[in-house]
Formats: sequence, structure tokens, C-alpha cells
Amino acid sequence: MLFRRRDAASRLDDELRFHLERQVAENVAAGMSAEEARAAALRTFGNPALLRDRAQATWGWGWVGSLRGDLAYAVRSLRRAPGFAIAAIGTLSVGIGAAAAMFSVVDRALIRPTTFGEPDRLVQIREGGRASKNVWNDLWLDIDEWSRRSRSFEQMAVVGSMGGRNFIEGKSAAVQVEGITTSSNLLDVLRTAPILGHGFAPEPVSSSAGRNTGTVILGYAIWRTAFGGDDAVIGKFARINGNPYTVIGVMPRGFAFPKQSQAVPQVWLPLTLNDTDSRRDYSAPTYQVVARLKSGVTIASAQSEMSAIQKTIAPAYADPDFRNAQASVVRYSDTLIDADVSKALWALLAASGVLWLIAAVNAANLLLARGTARRREIAVRGALGASRPRIAQQLMIEGLVLSASATVLGVCLADAGIRLARNAAPPGLGLDLSTHVDVTVLAGLCVLTLLSVLVSTAWPAAIVVRAPIEPALKQGSLQAGTGRRQHILRGALVSIEIAMSLTLLVACGLLLRTIYTLRHVPLGYRTDHIVVANLNIPSFRFKGQNIVQSLYLPMLDRVQHLHGVQAAGLMSEVPLGNTFHILLSLRMNGGGVVAEMKTVTPDIQRVFGFKMLAGRFYNHQDKPNSAPVVVVNPAFARLFAPNKLDPSSLIGLSMWSVRKDASAHIVGVLDNERQKAISQPSQPEVEFCLCQVTQDTRNYGPATTAMDLAIRTDRPTSEIIPELRDILRNASPELGGAQISTMDQIVEDSYGSQRLATHLLEIFGGSALLLCLAGLYGLLAYVVAQRTRELGVRIALGASRGNLVWMVLRQAGAMLLIGVAAGAGLALASKRLVSGFLYGVSAHDGWTFAASAILLLASGMLAAYFPAYRAASVDPMEALRAE
Amino acid sequence: MGKPSDLVQGTLDLLILKTIALEPMHGWAIARRIQQLSNEVLQVQQGSLYPALHRLEQQGWIKAKWMESETGRQAKFYSLTGAGRAQMEKESANWSRLSAAINLIVSEA
Repeated sequence: MLFRRRDAASRLDDELRFHLERQVAENVAAGMSAEEARAAALRTFGNPALLRDRAQATWGWGWVGSLRGDLAYAVRSLRRAPGFAIAAIGTLSVGIGAAAAMFSVVDRALIRPTTFGEPDRLVQIREGGRASKNVWNDLWLDIDEWSRRSRSFEQMAVVGSMGGRNFIEGKSAAVQVEGITTSSNLLDVLRTAPILGHGFAPEPVSSSAGRNTGTVILGYAIWRTAFGGDDAVIGKFARINGNPYTVIGVMPRGFAFPKQSQAVPQVWLPLTLNDTDSRRDYSAPTYQVVARLKSGVTIASAQSEMSAIQKTIAPAYADPDFRNAQASVVRYSDTLIDADVSKALWALLAASGVLWLIAAVNAANLLLARGTARRREIAVRGALGASRPRIAQQLMIEGLVLSASATVLGVCLADAGIRLARNAAPPGLGLDLSTHVDVTVLAGLCVLTLLSVLVSTAWPAAIVVRAPIEPALKQGSLQAGTGRRQHILRGALVSIEIAMSLTLLVACGLLLRTIYTLRHVPLGYRTDHIVVANLNIPSFRFKGQNIVQSLYLPMLDRVQHLHGVQAAGLMSEVPLGNTFHILLSLRMNGGGVVAEMKTVTPDIQRVFGFKMLAGRFYNHQDKPNSAPVVVVNPAFARLFAPNKLDPSSLIGLSMWSVRKDASAHIVGVLDNERQKAISQPSQPEVEFCLCQVTQDTRNYGPATTAMDLAIRTDRPTSEIIPELRDILRNASPELGGAQISTMDQIVEDSYGSQRLATHLLEIFGGSALLLCLAGLYGLLAYVVAQRTRELGVRIALGASRGNLVWMVLRQAGAMLLIGVAAGAGLALASKRLVSGFLYGVSAHDGWTFAASAILLLASGMLAAYFPAYRAASVDPMEALRAE
Repeated sequence: MGKPSDLVQGTLDLLILKTIALEPMHGWAIARRIQQLSNEVLQVQQGSLYPALHRLEQQGWIKAKWMESETGRQAKFYSLTGAGRAQMEKESANWSRLSAAINLIVSEA
């Protein structure tokens, strides 16, 4: 009965009135007077309004009407109390916004990190044992065995890299791309397809030219930038490193495989094997393998099959490192994000949850106060016949209106927050912040809203509704005191807020100290006044010539003569740059080692101020025809120095036959230098001198593919960067697009997940502090307002104003101390969540706890002072007259 | 006379169906009839009667019609539908079984 309710309702009234009349008539017949008869009839009749409601409730659909009424009423009553509405909505929206933003990011990064179909069946197979976690680790011979012998996989795709730096020539200048070589089935394995054209024709991986040879599939980004998003690109030629390829497909937006580590657009080419692929040693190319499990096959069973197969393959290796290599099967989604970033995200999600809880508790406190102020209104409605569930429903609807508005506002906050974070998030974290609000996030928001209603409205409503009606009507005055129990309850709520805020503040404090400690770790080099350009080296332009002589050294010479440049040097990768790692596997003194390989020019020492532990750095006497020399770092010395305690015992040792006619000798040991992250100890490192690199040296390729230019200058960066860019562009047009940054910025970016966590916790902790101060202030202000009469009497009886201030502050102090004590316990209990991100500070660092507690206590007392001052300035005459 | 006993849960529906099985009746008359037939032991509160009537009507066991009452005023008369009659038979059978069972236990003790 959804329609014509009004009609039906008036008929119901008729029916009930008829009953009443008959009862009256019967009472009159029994000898009562007309008035007595009516009163008696009404008495037996009970509560007519309630009766009518109950009868209507049986019609079904009744809730629609009452809901509509309640909604209108809630909106109206909130509009009448704008201060309360703004406070409650603002509070909740901060909590919901923080939680929604974190949830969107976590959802994108951890829960559904990939958009490929059936992601649970997508796995990566990694050969471990050598450079441990490296995904580019699988040798072709092994992959071939795996795919022929395993039964767990539907298909297995092999992905390799063109290596070095690659450039594609589209309509405009050459653009750097990541060239990925792949078996023809990659897109099938990933369950995706191009938006234009088609994928590679199916054919097995081989060493001879096939149907796919000379074709390329473009990524969306390069298609838009270099080819202007031209639909007719299919079938046209694209020149990569100077060679022509036919474009056969364009991938959809957002598609990337392997995961993009930098903003270099990707293109895919068919994989062709060469004779090095039939080797089983360090000189063989390495690949990553992505496979799709047959449906119903678990990762564990695939793993045991692969382990068994690998056991029979491994003995074919001569090298012990390879012989011990395991083949591990890893869920593809799990490879997409670093373990420590994912830990940081979960911890931050927890922190945002705490902030939300604080907000909800704060809102609950506000609603409780409002419920007390509305006791009379509710009592009157009860007296007029509203049932208790009905009143509770109405209060819940009011809470729902509050939460829903807060959610809308919170989503705006979250969206703005994510936009900000997108610009501020440290690069290299692999965090995709292109988060959109989608169905999952919306569902999450609905759950959050309902939870907010439950936490912040349900039980205040229950308390208000359960209160007996008569006392509220009898007492009447607005200043009537509330129950002692409710007062304690509200104090407890504020203490809970304080406790949770302290937890967040402590976490934030610990991370701030971590960042502070990281900033003060001796790096082993200077970072001030250094400008760094990460060069995209167009090696293809210099085929057949020595790029060192034709590009690097002349360019460096021009940079050195730039006005204001004190020193300029080249280095494969500046420390903490994390742009391009070159790993050199070598054997020395009977042990194998994987060392970082860098190529430098002598002046780089003057730029960074590297110190030497022993021996010398390069100088200008190190020429292509002089004896080849290398410099190593302490981590290398620890492994290979004949005398472990004395790095200088390495000096003079021969290390590697870098040229046919000469072996490189170690001439110096650098002082420690942090390479990848400040919190990670340095790895073994070997440095070559760029001036000695020629096409004849064995390391020519790796020594010249990647290069960072670093200059030390006193001039402001904004002045020197354009001049620098001009020189680079003149040297080769592609270099004009180099990423230019300062060394200070690179160090800052290297804080990675710690910095992200710190910034977010600063926001969460700050908001939590504000919310709990608002809660404390609100409660005290309310208490003082309620006790105005009592305070007036006290003053009239001779209490000093100081006494009154003290009285209020004491109350605040009690709540603060209880909250801080509980919060300290909570922070200790949750230390496992933060301890992973800390560096140089323990998770129960006393100073941090003390500082956070003092901050909270001091600001809490400040927030309490205003109500206390108001209490003390109560005019007794006014207060008493106001009654 | 003491306080009239509360109706056993769920029996009100059966009482109403039984009462109007003979002739259409309005709410007040139903209450009176139950009270009289039970020798004033069962008093149906209006608070339960009308919700029950409306519920039964929604379930389609009884139907209502506005007709002139004995006092000449329009009143809502309820009468049994076919489905209602079947329901009444079912509930009476149920009740006989239940009351017999309860009787066994109560008289035993």
C-alpha cells in the first residue's frame, strides 16, 4: 500500500473514532456521566496515536512515509542548529576523507594492483640464488625446459629488454622509449589486446627471423606524443634507434608491462634469440617470465612442480651460484609493489582508520551533548505518543544525514588530497596515484558512512531514548544537570580521543626523528650546490664511433667552461639517483661477487667531495693508453682485501682484464658512500675511469649507456639550468629533454616511503590533535554553560575566580592524564606497525613519547583555559537572574 | 475480577477469524464478542486488535467493507475470505493439538 496513504489514514481514523464512540456509549449506558465515560474510554483505549501508527505499520511500505518525514525533519532541525551541524559534519568529513583517500590508494596499489584479467592466475617465475630479488634473472635454456616440461601453466611468456637506451623517431624529434622484447604470446597471457591493430602473430620463440620480425607495438603514451594519436599509424614505419619497424598495434591507456619504474614510454618488439642465449653462465642474457596458471592449479602446486624440474636442470651448470638457483613462482600482483611500500600503506591505512575513529567518537560526543539539550523535545514527543524505536529511528536518520553530508565532503577532501599527493609523492615508490572513484571505493564509502552512523549516532540515540520521560518534563529548565553517568561517559569519550591522538602523534614523532636521523647520516659526499642532469643517451647516433670521445668529453668540456661552474663530472649514476643500475658479476680471489659498476670522470671527486680511505682517485694522467685502473669502495674491500682490516692492502691488486692487453689494477678505495638508500648499507662497487673507456675495452657498452652529469656551482639553479640545457641540446638534440634536479632534491626523494609516511602522518596527527582539542573544548564549554547557575551561586557564596578556573582545569587535566596514559599504552602496543620504518630511533623512544605527551597536555590545557576563563567571569547576578 | 489475562501469543488471529466466521463484524463488536464469549476472561486491547485486523487484511485472510452499523453510523465491517477460512481451519487444528498437549502436562502435575 504505497499510494493513497492519506485516504487510507483518514479512514483508519474514522474506524478508531467509531470504536471510541461505541465505548463511550457503552460507558454512559452503564451509568457514567458523559465526561467520565469519555475519560474512561480513552484510558482503556491507550495511546491513540501509537495505535494508529501500529495499524499503519502493518500496511507495509510505511517506512517510506516515515523516512521521508524523518529526512525532512532532520534537515530542518540541523538547519536550525548550524553550529552543531558544521562541527559534526566537519569532524566526520575529515575522518572519512582521510580514510577514503587511503582506501583508494591501498585498493589501487595492494588490493587490485593490476587490471589484467583473472589476476590470481598470473604468476612470475624467478630464478633466485644470485642477485636474489632481481626479476630479470631467468636464462633462456631454463625457460625452454620449464615451458616444455611443466604442466601447471596454460601459457608462459618470456620478456626481455632491448638493453641500453632506445629512441623512437615519430613525427617530431627522437623520444626515449623502453624497448621490450617479448614472445608473441605476452598479450594472451595477460588477457589484454591492443586498441588499434593486433598483437604479434603466434609463433614460438626462435633465433631465426619470423612473421613478427621488424614489427612493433606502441604504448599509448608514445602513440599520443610521438605519433599524435593518429588512427592511421598501423602499417606505418617507426624508426627505433635508426632502424625501421612496422607498427602493428597500439596498446590501451594505462597498459604497462613490465611495471614501469620511470616515466619512459614503452614499446614492444618480438623477441629473437641469439647465440649467447645458449649459454649457461653470467654472459647469457636474462629474461623475466610471466605465466598463466591453468585454472584450478594453485601457486603452491605450480611451485612444487617447478622446484622438481629445476632440480634436474641445475646440475647442468658449472657455476655453483647457478647450481643452487631455485625457481620460485610468485603471484604477479605481489611483484608490483615493494614490500616496504606496501607495509607503509597498510600502516597508513591503519592510521587513517584511527583518525576516522577519533572523528566518529568526536561526533558521538557532539550528538550526545545535543541529545541532552534535546531531552525535553524528545520527552514531549514521547508524551505525544511516539514509540521509542520511532524516536530512535528519527535520531538515526539525523545521524545518517550528517554522515552522508560528511561523506560527500570527505570524498572532495580525499580527491583533493590524492591530487596533492600525486605531485608530492616521491618518485620511484611505484605508487600509481591515478586513482579514480570506482565501484569498490564507493562501496567502501557506503560502509564507512554506515559505520560512522553506528559509532557516532546509534548509542547516543539509544541513551537518549532510554531516558525516562517524566523527569525531563518535570525538571523543565534547560540548565537542569545531566546524569552523573552521562557526564563520566562523555569525559571517557574525550579521553579515548586523546589516547588515540597520542598514538598518532607518537608515530608521527618517531618518523620525524627517523627523517631527522636519515638527514644526518654521513653520506660520504657533499650534496649542496650540486646540479644533476640525468641524460638520455642516444647511443644509436654514435654507432661505430667512440661515444666517449665524440660526445661525453667534448660536452663535459663545454659545461666546465660555463660561467659559475666550479667543477663538472660525469658518473653512470649519481649516488641515490636510482636511475640506472649496472651490475658487474665477477670472480676474484676464488669468490663470486655482483658489484655495482660505475664509470666516472676524474673531476667528479671535486663535485661530490668523495674522500679516499686509501690510494688515489683518478686524475688527468689516466688516459686510454695508460695502464687501466679501478677504484673500489669499502664494501668491496671487506670482501676481497687480503687483510680485511686494512683496505689499503687491496691497492695494486689486479682485478679484471678489461683490455686484451692489460688488466685493471686497483688504485684507490673510496670512503663509504650510500648508493641506493640512506638506510641501506652500501653494496660492493667498482668504478672505472670514463677517459680510459674505448671501443676496445670489454666494458664499453655498459660503461657508456647511462650517464649523469653533475656540476658544482654557486649560481642559483634557475639561472644555470637553461644554460646547461642549451649545451646539452647542442651536443645531441635528445639530451635537451634531460631530467635536471639538484643533489639535495635527489637525497630528499630517496627518503621514499619514510617521507610519504611522515607527510601523511603529519596530516593525520595534526588533524587528530585538532579534533581531540575540539572535543575537549566542546565538552568543557558545554559543562560550563550548564553549570552557569551553580558557578554563580559559588561566586555569590565567596568562591574566588581562581578557584573556579582551577576547578575547570582540574577536570580537563584529569581527562588529559587518563587519555595520555592510555595513549602511551596504545602506542607501545602498536609499535610493531611503525618499527619497520624507523631508522636510528627505537619504537619506544622515551623522548618522542614525552614530547608528544607534553604537546598534547599543553595544547589540551590551552583549549581548556578558555572555558575555564568563561567560568570564572560568570556574573553571579546575571547567572541567578537568568533563571 | 483480577486483571484480564493476556492473550496467548499468536492466538488473537485465531480468535478474530473464529469470531467473524459467522457474520461480518466491526472492530468494536469483535472485541465485545470475544470478551462475552470468554466470560470476560479475554479482553482484547485496542492496541493489539487494530494492528491485527489490518495485518490480516494485508495477508488477504479477511476483507473489509464500510457499511451502516447498528447505530446508523458508517463502520468498517470485516468478513472472512476463502483463504481466511482455510487459515482458520489450520489454526484451529493447531490450537486443539497444542492445548491438548499443554493440558496433558498441566493436569498431570
